[in-house]
Amino acid sequence: MAETAGDLKARLAALRAEFGEALARARDAAELQAVRDRFLGRKAGSVTQLMKTLGGLAADARREAGQALNEAKVEFEARLETARAAAEACARKERLARDRVDTSLPGRMPWQGRRHPLTTVREELEDIFVAMGYEVYDGPEVEDDYHCFEALNMPRDHPARDMQDTFYLAGTGGLLLRTHTSTSQIRYMLENPHPPEVRIICPGKCYRRDAPDLTHSPMFQQIEALVVGPGISLGDLKGTIEAFLHALFGEEHPVRFRPSYFPYTEPSVEVDLGCVACGGNGCRVCKGTGWLEIMGSGMVNPAVFEAVNARLGRVVYDPEQVTGFAFGLGIERVAILRHDVGDIRLFYGGDLRFLEQFR
Amino acid sequence: MRLPISWLKEHVDVPVEPRKLADDLTLAGLAVDAVEGRGDEAVLDLDITTNRVDCMNVRGVAREAAVIYGTTLRPLATELSETGAPATEALRVVIEAPELCPRFCARILDVRMGPSPAWLRERLESVGVRPISNVVDLTNYVMMEMGHPSHAFDLAKIPSRELRVRWARPGESVRTLDGVERRLEAGMGVIAGPDGALSLAGIMGGASSEVSDDTRTVALEAAYWDPPAIRRTARALGMHTEASHRFERGADPEAASAATARIAHLLVRIGAGSVRPGLIDVRPAPPVERSAILRPARLRALLGVDVPEARAAAILAGLGFGVGQAESEGRRVAIPSWRGDVAREADLIEEVGRHHGLDKIPSSLPPARRRGGLRRAQLAARQVRDVLVGAGLDEVVRTSFVPAGLEARPAVTVANPLADVEGELRTSLVDPGLLDTLKRNLNHGHRDVRIFEVGRVFLPSGAGVEERTHLGVLLSGAGRPRTWSEETRDVDFFDAKGLVELLAARLGWPISLGKGPVPAWIHPGKSTCLLASGEGIGHAGAVHPEAAARLELRGEVFVAELRVDALLEAKPAEARARPLPRHPGVSRDLSLVLDGAIAAEELVAWAHQGAGALLRSVRVSGRYVGVQIPEGKVGLLLTLHYQEPERTLTSDEVQASVEGAVRALRARGVEIRGE
Repeated sequence: MAETAGDLKARLAALRAEFGEALARARDAAELQAVRDRFLGRKAGSVTQLMKTLGGLAADARREAGQALNEAKVEFEARLETARAAAEACARKERLARDRVDTSLPGRMPWQGRRHPLTTVREELEDIFVAMGYEVYDGPEVEDDYHCFEALNMPRDHPARDMQDTFYLAGTGGLLLRTHTSTSQIRYMLENPHPPEVRIICPGKCYRRDAPDLTHSPMFQQIEALVVGPGISLGDLKGTIEAFLHALFGEEHPVRFRPSYFPYTEPSVEVDLGCVACGGNGCRVCKGTGWLEIMGSGMVNPAVFEAVNARLGRVVYDPEQVTGFAFGLGIERVAILRHDVGDIRLFYGGDLRFLEQFR
Repeated sequence: MRLPISWLKEHVDVPVEPRKLADDLTLAGLAVDAVEGRGDEAVLDLDITTNRVDCMNVRGVAREAAVIYGTTLRPLATELSETGAPATEALRVVIEAPELCPRFCARILDVRMGPSPAWLRERLESVGVRPISNVVDLTNYVMMEMGHPSHAFDLAKIPSRELRVRWARPGESVRTLDGVERRLEAGMGVIAGPDGALSLAGIMGGASSEVSDDTRTVALEAAYWDPPAIRRTARALGMHTEASHRFERGADPEAASAATARIAHLLVRIGAGSVRPGLIDVRPAPPVERSAILRPARLRALLGVDVPEARAAAILAGLGFGVGQAESEGRRVAIPSWRGDVAREADLIEEVGRHHGLDKIPSSLPPARRRGGLRRAQLAARQVRDVLVGAGLDEVVRTSFVPAGLEARPAVTVANPLADVEGELRTSLVDPGLLDTLKRNLNHGHRDVRIFEVGRVFLPSGAGVEERTHLGVLLSGAGRPRTWSEETRDVDFFDAKGLVELLAARLGWPISLGKGPVPAWIHPGKSTCLLASGEGIGHAGAVHPEAAARLELRGEVFVAELRVDALLEAKPAEARARPLPRHPGVSRDLSLVLDGAIAAEELVAWAHQGAGALLRSVRVSGRYVGVQIPEGKVGLLLTLHYQEPERTLTSDEVQASVEGAVRALRARGVEIRGE
C-alpha cells in the first residue's frame, strides 16, 4: 500500500519518540546493541523497514522523505554512540569502584641471595685500595717454609713462630697452610723483579692451629698490603692506614699507632682504632680501654728485601734505595666489629639463619 | 707480666700516676693490658712482645720509664763481702759444648735454709710466684727483678764437685724438679756430674741435686744458653718454664755474673748466709761487641720526620746504647748486651721512633706511580657472585678441613691436625661442604636451601699440592619462591642446568653439556658432565638416591660443581652490537608426539636439517605427557623462528622450510599434530 509523504513523516516522528524511549531504557552495551538492532538493523530495523516503503512515493516526495530518513539514521547512530560511550564510562567507573586488592598481602619477591658477609667486607676493602692505586694479588694457600717464615725473617726455631702455630701437610716434604697473607709479599716481589715499585693488597684464607672458640677459627681471612718504593716512610704507613680505616669505619674514629714487634717489619707498629662500639669511652667490646687493637703493620725489614734479593740472585730491592711498609688486617675482625658478631665460628658454619641477616 | 709499681719505683723515679704510666709505656711499645689498684699499690699487667725479653723484668721496664720521663735508672746493689775458701776450690766447671753454653757463672754460698722474710714472700706472691725457701726465692726474685734465670744446686749432692756442660747422651735421662723422669735425646743440653745429667740446661733443675732444708752449701749457677737449643729442647719435652721462656728468646750473656752477685748480695742482706770469694766464670769465647751505624738521613727517610740528632742520641744512650761521635757516614752505635733483638740500623731507628713518639710523625700518602685494579679472574669471580646472588642463592664459606677417608679420591692430609678439627683438605666444595650445610639448615627448619661457594680445593700432585678454584652450587626445596597465590614446585634438574647456562651466558663461558664420568654419589640418569673446550670441568645433577638416603635428605637435591680457574682467567670476546632487524620475523609452531626416549636436542637437529638454512632458530616451547598423549610418548611444541636481515620473508618460502622440517621429523617416526 502506497503511503503518503505525510504518513511517513508521522511514522518517523513516532519512531523517533520510540527510539528516544528505548535509548533511555538501555543500561549497558548489550541493551544498546539491542536498540541498534531494533531501529537500525540491516534487515529488520524499523528505519530500514521504513526505507523500503519509499518506493511508493513520487520522486520529489521520495527524495525529501529519503533525506529525512537518512538524517534520522545518522542522528540515531550518533545518539547510540554517545549513549554507548557514556555506558562504557559508567561501566568503567563501576568496575573501578569494585576493583580492589588487599595491599597488605605480602609482595611476591623474586628469589634473592646474599653475599657472604666476609666477601662483602673483603670486596669493600679491595675497592678502597684499588681506588688508591693498589693491585689485588692472589697467592696460594698451601705454602712452603721459605715463603711463610724464612724469607720473612723467621728462621727455624724463631720464637715468633710460636705465635703462628702451623698446620703441616703430610707427605709433601714440609708444605704447610699459610699462617698469614704476608707470604704474598715474598711471592709478589719474586714474581715482579722489575723496577722495585710495589703497591699491592693480598686478601685470602689463612690457617693456624688454634682450637675453635668464640674468637678463634683454625681458618680465617686476612688482607695484606705491601708498598715499596724510593722514599716510602712510616708517615706514608700512617697516612695510608688512617685513610682506609676512615673509609671503612668513618672519619669520627681516631687511629692510634704504637710500637710493636713483627719479625718482618722494623719498626713494627700496632694500630688501634677508637672503639666503634662506645666511641672511645670504654665498654665491653674494648675491655674498657676505649681502643680496639685492629691490625699489625710496619716498615719492611731490610732482611726481607735481602732474602728476596738472595733468591733472585741479584739486588732488585736494594734496602739502600727503597723502603716499604706492610700491614695485615683480619677480615673477620672488621666484620665482627661492624655487625656485632659474637662468635667467629658463625662465619664458617653455613647457618642461613645467620647469613640471611646481612644485606 | 705483672709489675708492682712499688718494685718499679725502687729502680727509677716515676713522676706520674699508674694509669698515665700505663699509657706512656704502651705508646713506647710495652703494651699494658690492665692496671690493678691505685698509687703505689698498683700492679701493671704488661704484654711484652717476644723480642723484648730484656723487658720481661722490673729493671727492663724501669730503663724504658727512665727514658720516657728523663729520669735516672738507679744502679743495682751487688756489693759483696766474701768469706771462706775461694769458690774455685769447692767447684770445678767444664764446658764441653761451647755452642750450647757460651758463658757459665757460678758462686758458692754457705746458707742457712729457711723461709724468706715476709717482704720477699709478699713480693714474689704479687708477681704470681710461689715462695719455697729463702735460697730458691732469691733466685726467682732476681729473675723477676733483672731477668736472668739462675739455679741453686746443693753442692753436697754434686758428685765429685764438678759440673760439666754438654749435650745429652743417647739413652740418658734426668728427673727434673717437677718429679718427671725426662728421657733425653741428642741435641738436648744438660749440666752433668761425672755419672750423668743433673739438670736440664736452661729449662729446669734436677731432683737429685735440689736444695732442701739440709742444704749447707749452694752452688749458684747463672749461664747464657743458645736460644735455638733451649727452644728445641723445651718443645721436644713439652716444657715451658720461666727460664726457658727467657733463654729461648735470648737472655743477656753479661747479666749472668751480675745475677749471681745480686743473689749473693741479697742472701747476706736477709741474713741467710755468706758468700765465698770469687766468681767462677767459664767463657769459651770472648764477648761479642756489636754495633751499627745510624745515619740521620736514613732515620728521616724511614720515619718521615726530622728527629733532632741530640734527641736521637739521648734516647739511645738512655736505653743503654753507646752512641759514638757524628762522622761523615753517621754515628757508630754500640748495642748493649741485653738487646739481642737489635742488630742493624733499622732497629736503631725503631728505638728512636718509639721513644720520640709515633704520634709526632706526620701522616702522608705515598705517590701512586702505577695504575691499580682487580685482575681479570678477580673481576670475574665477583661477577659469578653477582649472577648467583641475583639468581637467589646465598653464598657460604666453609672450612677447608674435611673428615679423613671421606671418599675414594686421594686427598691431602694434615700432619698435625687439631684434636677436634678434621684432618684432610677438601677436594670438592659440594661433598661434604655444601651437603653438610644443607643438612644443618634442614635441621633448623629451612625448607628451601639455595647456596653456593667459590673457593679452593686441594689435590695431591706428586709430592706437592695442586690448588684449584671451584664453584659449587646446591639447590633444594622449592623451585620458585613460595607465595600465597600460587602452588610452588620442587627444584629439578633444569633449575641446576639453568644456573650453569645463566653463568655461561653472563660470563661468556664456553660451557657445554656432555657425557662423561660423574661422581658415584650423583644420580646417573639426572646428571650431566660439564665441558669447556672439550675438557671435563665438572658436573651438574641430582644427588644419588642412595647418597641422599645415607645423608637422610628429604626430597631431591641438585648440585653443580665446576673447576673455574681457567674460566675466570679467560678473556671473553667483547659483545658486538648487530644492527636491529628492519623486516618482520616469522614464527611457526609444530606440535609433535614422539617416543619419550628421543632427546630434545636430536629433534632440534632434525628440524634444522629438514628446514634448511632459512631457519634461524628452534626452541622447545612446551612439553606434555598424560591424557592427550599415548603411554611412553611425549608431546613437544617446537617453535621455528625465521628472520632475514635484509628482506621480508614470503609465506611460500617459510611454508616450504616448515614442510621440510616436518618431513625430516616424520622420517624419524615423529608424529606431527594439526598439520
